[in-house]
Amino acid sequence: MIRKIFVLSQIIFSFSILPQLLAGITLCSQVANYTMDVHLDPENNLIMGKELLVWTNSTQFPAPELWFHLYWNAFQNNKSTFLKEARERTNVADFKKDDWGYCRIQSIKIVQNSYFEDYDLTPWLEFRHPDDNNLYDQTVFSVALPHPLEPGQTISIAIDFKSKIPRPISRTGVWKDYYFIAQWFPKIGVFEHGQWNCHQYHAHSEYFADYGTYDVKIRLPSSFIVGATGEHREKINNGDGTITHHFFQDSVHDFAWTASPRFLEYKENYEFSPGKSTEITLLLQPHHKHLKQRYLMALKNALKYCSLFYGDYPYSTITCVDPAYNSRSGGMEYPTFFSAGAYFLSKKGIPRPEGVTIHEFGHNYFYGLVGSNEFENPWMDEGFTSFLDSQVYYAAYGQPLYYKMYFGFPVIFKEVKIPIEGEGISRHRLTYNLDNMQRFAWQFLSGESYGANSYAKAELMLRTLQRYMGKENFSQMIKAYSQRFWFKHPRPEDFINTVSEFARQDMSWFLDQFIYGSEKLDYALANLSWHLPSQPRGWFEGKYRDGNINPSQLSIFESEVVVRRLGGVKVPVDILVVFEDGQKVRKKWDGQYRWKRFSFKYPYKVKKAVVDPDFKLVMDINRTNNSRLRKANLLAPWKWMSNWLIWLQHALEVFTIFGG
Amino acid sequence: MKVFINFKKGFQASSQTFKMIFMLFLINFFISLILGFPMLGTLKSSLGSSIAGEKMAKGFDYLWWQEFRDESQGLALTFRPSIINQGAILDNVEYLVEMRFFQLPLAVLILILIYIVIHTFLAGGLLAIFNQDEIKFTLKKFFGGAGQYFFRFLLLMAISWVFFLAIGFFLNKGFNSLISRIAAKSLTEIQPFYAGLLFKGVILFLLLFTHMVFDYARIKIVVEDSKNVLTSALKSFGFVAKHLGSTLGLYFILIGLSIVTAILYIALKSLIPQTNLAPVAIAFLIQQAFILAIIWLRCWLYSSQLELYRYLK
Repeated sequence: MIRKIFVLSQIIFSFSILPQLLAGITLCSQVANYTMDVHLDPENNLIMGKELLVWTNSTQFPAPELWFHLYWNAFQNNKSTFLKEARERTNVADFKKDDWGYCRIQSIKIVQNSYFEDYDLTPWLEFRHPDDNNLYDQTVFSVALPHPLEPGQTISIAIDFKSKIPRPISRTGVWKDYYFIAQWFPKIGVFEHGQWNCHQYHAHSEYFADYGTYDVKIRLPSSFIVGATGEHREKINNGDGTITHHFFQDSVHDFAWTASPRFLEYKENYEFSPGKSTEITLLLQPHHKHLKQRYLMALKNALKYCSLFYGDYPYSTITCVDPAYNSRSGGMEYPTFFSAGAYFLSKKGIPRPEGVTIHEFGHNYFYGLVGSNEFENPWMDEGFTSFLDSQVYYAAYGQPLYYKMYFGFPVIFKEVKIPIEGEGISRHRLTYNLDNMQRFAWQFLSGESYGANSYAKAELMLRTLQRYMGKENFSQMIKAYSQRFWFKHPRPEDFINTVSEFARQDMSWFLDQFIYGSEKLDYALANLSWHLPSQPRGWFEGKYRDGNINPSQLSIFESEVVVRRLGGVKVPVDILVVFEDGQKVRKKWDGQYRWKRFSFKYPYKVKKAVVDPDFKLVMDINRTNNSRLRKANLLAPWKWMSNWLIWLQHALEVFTIFGG
Repeated sequence: MKVFINFKKGFQASSQTFKMIFMLFLINFFISLILGFPMLGTLKSSLGSSIAGEKMAKGFDYLWWQEFRDESQGLALTFRPSIINQGAILDNVEYLVEMRFFQLPLAVLILILIYIVIHTFLAGGLLAIFNQDEIKFTLKKFFGGAGQYFFRFLLLMAISWVFFLAIGFFLNKGFNSLISRIAAKSLTEIQPFYAGLLFKGVILFLLLFTHMVFDYARIKIVVEDSKNVLTSALKSFGFVAKHLGSTLGLYFILIGLSIVTAILYIALKSLIPQTNLAPVAIAFLIQQAFILAIIWLRCWLYSSQLELYRYLK
């Protein structure tokens, strides 16, 4: 019976996908195509699945074996690579038998096609540990083929699997009646350059896969509201208290879904640019109902600005999930489907849920459409998306306000606005020398370093590059890079080459320092001084001069400005010198040597000088030392000391509770 | 009714001792300057010759502050955006309720400890003044009382710390673990939010209640010249228990007045854009007036409590 159903699914698959492939109506070539029929058993938190994978060897090399991810096996014991690495941030000490998760292959078979006969691969299943030789880790397996799959050939693999849904650990799991199901099925790795790129699941890494079509049917109790990657094509009432939800999406590299009977579901069609629209689905927690408009507006802003900056969003749907508290599934991206996060007391001016909504939607570009390898080049998705989310947030909402939580209440400080240059710089300042930005995700010194390099440093690098190249030129470049590598797997050199093309010069001197280096960028205005020119005294060409003042020289001041490079990063800098009469002089310095002295003769004394006056060097970790005033400003220290003093005076009074 | 009678009497008594209140204010002001000047020096060296100083003179330069924070240690870390207006007050309440003041830099902690001890000394003088039939502030009477009761009050303080520590650390710890357990089982953030609010409210109430009880212990020592500190402390619990409504009513009326004063201060100060010297000076005066008001309210509380104690006895 199972066999018959399976063959039937093949037929359905061939009718549903292949014609589209032949017609060439998909957005890209479909390398890894999945037809899945899955059943959620909420009593036991199990997913029983049947998967038909049709995979094409799109490389120039024969593939003698196939490698797969089984991500959920990271959650089957505490010795997995993921949980060993995540020891600091994930506590599984109280996990009981039913809390662990796994994905088990019950059978894996080749289905007959023009290149292969029916063949059972199950006996040849072998767990692989390419990154750390951890024998307890079962997140990657391979199967040897009876004969290599030659370039251009296609293979059909039928897999029966059973997945136990874990208690939420990271990004996925079940929490009460809320299911967030991601990285949940046997997923083929990426075959490139004659070998498999199929890393184990790591605590600080995300994913990498080929594009394809996902045709997925999910059967679960009828009370559940479901959201997933792609179009929700149909709902079939099975008459047994369950409904089968059918989702379909081509040209994506992953499929995730969520289900909960509590979701409030909102759908809206939104035209994000003339003639281009998409269907927005918002799945909201009931206690966040009042945040509906903020979520929707954030998503619309994201769609509008991302389309403008990075190319029109090409899919017909986008689903935003407001995750359940404690589900650990917030702030995660999947193609056409993402989870955000909000706080029920969030006020206007506080970027929740807007910030995370924009960020996770933005991943539809940098990870979704531009399919960089998140395992190996984490900055190419997180850094680009961090840059994107700041760019979109500030364009749509302006500067966010500083806020602090007191006993769960957010209190906004309207006097303190956070400029875009403040995004990420603090993290970078504190961690710049821990690692190079370009590292495999699991090879960073710490989670802090991974985050600071992959998110903050890359964002800052892009913002610095934007100001260095000029806004217009950079915008053209980043849009070209985005669209050029849609449905491809770019590497750092692809980005460097694109930048160089638009900058009309080899920009590796600039970018290499940030991507492959860990030096700091810090230029400082080291000295600002003036003096009257010294009068000649002594013997000059046989004549004695006694230093009498030449009245014409009295009105000329000699001013001196010294600029220093305190960091290892070398970039050209501008210097602005302002004289007491308001006259401004600009100088350029190649920034190569350790310091540079500029001298001026002018009727007025120098008033102030600034290195990088246009704030191009956003990565400069010390801005305060970039300027010097000849006369120190005393108002600011006194003003802020007095403001601080009230805190201290009040503290002294409050704590008298412990005395008299 | 007796609450309001003694509240009014307390007001009259404290109003007659403005010199004493002003002296207490000056003590607060000058002690705070012990750390105020080092903070000024730190701010001067960071802001003074940089353009960031110009920006901070006009408003708040978030970029400068980020950098200042990242490169600072100790006292300088207490300079943060939340010291502006309401944040200064809320930060302190949070430090108290969460018992996080131990995270403050050592210099601040030491200063707070010194101030507590000084205040324990001054409390004797303060109560000695209010304990007169005809209230008149003289330095002799004030410091005479301060010296007379200091060691008894110091011992009382030590006893009160047992209660404060029990509430602030053990009960707080228990509540926090309870909140975490509630949070761990919740499907929304609302349950842990309300649980947190409730438990923190209980902590705050218990801290204030303990403070009130020991206020009466001090009053008992002064009014009855009681030499047995432990007995005074225990009897003050009995006194408060016997007159729970009056003692709590009086205490929380004055706590309420403190909150109103704080709200007025925040509203007033936020109207002043501190962009040049004159408004900065005005803001400074408003700040000091607020501290003066807080000190006056505390004296008012003491005098009212003393009046109530005598009334009920």
